[in-house]
Amino acid sequence: MKFQLKNTIAILAFASIFASCSSDDDSSQNLVGNGEMELYFDNSINGDDLILGVSSHTNSNGETLKINKFNYIVSNFVLIDENGAEVAYPKESSYFVINEETKQTTIHLENIPSGNYKKIKFGLGVDSQRYLQGETAQQSFWDEAAANDLTWTWSTGYRFIVFEGSFTAPTLTGEKTFQVHQGSNTATDNYREFTVDFPNTARVRQTESPSVHFIVDANKILDGNAKVKLSEAMNPAGTSAAIMGGTKLISIADNTTSMFTVDHVHAGGAEH
Amino acid sequence: MLVAPNINSVLNMKKILFLVLLSALFSCQNDDSEDYIDVESNELLELNIPSNFPELAQDISKNLPTEKGFELGKKLFYDGRLSRDGTISCAFCHEQSSAFTHHGHDFSHGIDNLAGIRNAPAIQNMAFQKEYFYDGASNSIEMLSINPIHNPVEMDENMANIIAKLKQDPAYVKLFKQAFENGEITTGNTLKALAQFMTMMVSSNSKYDKYVRNEAGGSMNSQELQGLAVFQNKCSACHEGDLFTNSSFRNNGLPPNPNLNDLGREVVTGFETDRYKFKVPSLRNVALTAPYMHDGRFGSLNSVLNFYSNGVQHSATLDPLLNQNGTLGIQLSQEEKEAIIAFLKTLTDEEYIKNPLFYFQT
Repeated sequence: MKFQLKNTIAILAFASIFASCSSDDDSSQNLVGNGEMELYFDNSINGDDLILGVSSHTNSNGETLKINKFNYIVSNFVLIDENGAEVAYPKESSYFVINEETKQTTIHLENIPSGNYKKIKFGLGVDSQRYLQGETAQQSFWDEAAANDLTWTWSTGYRFIVFEGSFTAPTLTGEKTFQVHQGSNTATDNYREFTVDFPNTARVRQTESPSVHFIVDANKILDGNAKVKLSEAMNPAGTSAAIMGGTKLISIADNTTSMFTVDHVHAGGAEH
Repeated sequence: MLVAPNINSVLNMKKILFLVLLSALFSCQNDDSEDYIDVESNELLELNIPSNFPELAQDISKNLPTEKGFELGKKLFYDGRLSRDGTISCAFCHEQSSAFTHHGHDFSHGIDNLAGIRNAPAIQNMAFQKEYFYDGASNSIEMLSINPIHNPVEMDENMANIIAKLKQDPAYVKLFKQAFENGEITTGNTLKALAQFMTMMVSSNSKYDKYVRNEAGGSMNSQELQGLAVFQNKCSACHEGDLFTNSSFRNNGLPPNPNLNDLGREVVTGFETDRYKFKVPSLRNVALTAPYMHDGRFGSLNSVLNFYSNGVQHSATLDPLLNQNGTLGIQLSQEEKEAIIAFLKTLTDEEYIKNPLFYFQT
C-alpha cells in the first residue's frame, strides 16, 4: 500500500512537471483572466489638429470650415483576435459619448478576455434595435447624451454626431454658421458599423492594458466618398446651413464608415 | 430591513419585548421612509391582447407594466410638474372623456397659453402603433414623451428639471422605489413609467368590437352595417384592420393652411416626397375626438366626409388612392355618408372613456 502510494505520488509529480513544461511552450495556455483596453479618440481634420473655434480647414468642396463643436456617440464594440474570434463588449455597457470640447475623448473597456487583438468593430450612433428596446437596454444613456447635446427633442432619438461651426463658400458672401446633426429618424436608419485594423497587436493580459490611438477625421463627414456641400443646405434666410434630415444624412452615414483609423496601439500601461 | 433575525438565546423575554416595541415604534415613524417599502407587492399587470387586434408593434419586453409602474405613470401623466411652470400636465391636452384628446380645440393651447400647430391626437392602443405623432417624430413608446415635454409651446421643460422636482416629493420617492428595481428617480424610469401607463391604455370594447367578436352587446342595425360595408369598400385601404389605421403617412389632399405651412412627414425625414403627408389616424372613438385632421380644421364627421367627396386638392404628393384617373377624392352619396357616420359611432368605447383605471383620483 505504501509502495503504491509512493508510486502514485511520483507519477503525479512527473505528470505535473510534464504538463507545466508543455504549457510554457504554448502561449495560448497563458491567456487566462481578463484585462482592460483604453480607446483614445484623437479628433483631427484631414491630418491636422482639430482646434475648436480656432483652426479652419478648406475641403475638396471648396468650403472653408471653422469648427466649434464636435461630439459623437460610439457604440457596440467588438474585438477581433488573431484567430478571427470575436469578443463582443456587453451591449448594455457599450454606448459612449466623445466630446471634443470637454476633452471626453477616452473610453475604458473593462473585463476584456486576455488575448492578442488585431481588429476592432464598432458603430457610430445608436442602433435602432437597441433604441427600440428602450431605456432599460440603454441604461439611461439618454441623460448623458442630452448633457452632451446628442439628443433630439422635436423628434425622439439620438444625434449620432453634432458638428457645428462657421464656414465660407465660393457661392456665398461672407461667413455663415452651420449645424450638421447626424442621426436616424423613423424613416432612415443612419447607424453604421465598421471594422478598423490595428497596425500592431493589442495584447490584453491581466497585467497589460493596451491603449488604442484612433485618429478621427472630422473632414470625412462632408468630404468622404460622398461630397456634401453646406452651401446647398442654406436656410430660406440664407444665414445658416442646417443638415438634419433627408438624403444628406444617408451620405454622411456612409462617409462615417471611413472616419476612424487606428494610428498605433500602445502596449500595456503606456501613455498615448 | 427592520427585524433583526438572529435574536439569540442570551436575550431574555423582557429584552425581546423591548425590541418588538422599539421596532413597532420605529416602523410607525417611518411609514414613508425609503427603507420600509414592501417591494414584493409590485406585481406584473396582465396585458390582454384583444382577439381582433394585431400583435403589439412595440417591444415592451424590457418594460413590462407592473402595478406600481402603472400607478406611477398615471400620477406623472396627470402631474403639471412635467411642465416648466407647473400648469400643463399630459392630461391637460389628453382628456379621458374625449378619448384622451383636447376636445373642442383645433390647436391645443399649452404653456403661457401658446398654441401649437397640430391637433392633439388620441392616446389609445399605443403599444399597437409603430410610430407616433402626425409626422412620425417618434417610434418608441418609451421615448415619445420627450416631444411634448420639450416642445416650447406645449410643456417647455427638460428631463433634468423634472427629475429635480420629483425628487422633492416623498410620494414620488416612494413610488419610484416600489416601481423599479433600482428604485431611483431618473429620466429612464420616468419615461418607462409613462410608457407602462400608455401600454395599458387599450380601447377594444366598442359596439363594433363586440360585433366582430360575437359578444353580447354587439348587435348593429342595418344602417350601421351598411356603413361598415361602405367603409370597408372605400376607406379601409388606409383605415385598415381593427386598429382602423395602417400607420402609413399620406397626403389626403387637404389644402395646406398657408399660415402654418406644415410640411408634415417631411419635417422628420427631410424628403420632399413626404411633403404634406400625415399619419393615418385610428378611427377608434372618432365620434368623441372632434375636431378632425392634423390641424383640427373640421368640426364634424360630416365635414370630413364632405371634404373627401368634394374638397380633395391635387398636389405632387397626393395619395394615388385619392386620384382615380383624374377624379379626386372618394365618391360618396348622401346616404353612404350618413351610413358611414352611423358606423363610425359604433367605434365609441364607453368602457374606455369611463374606466377609473385611467382616471387619476387623489
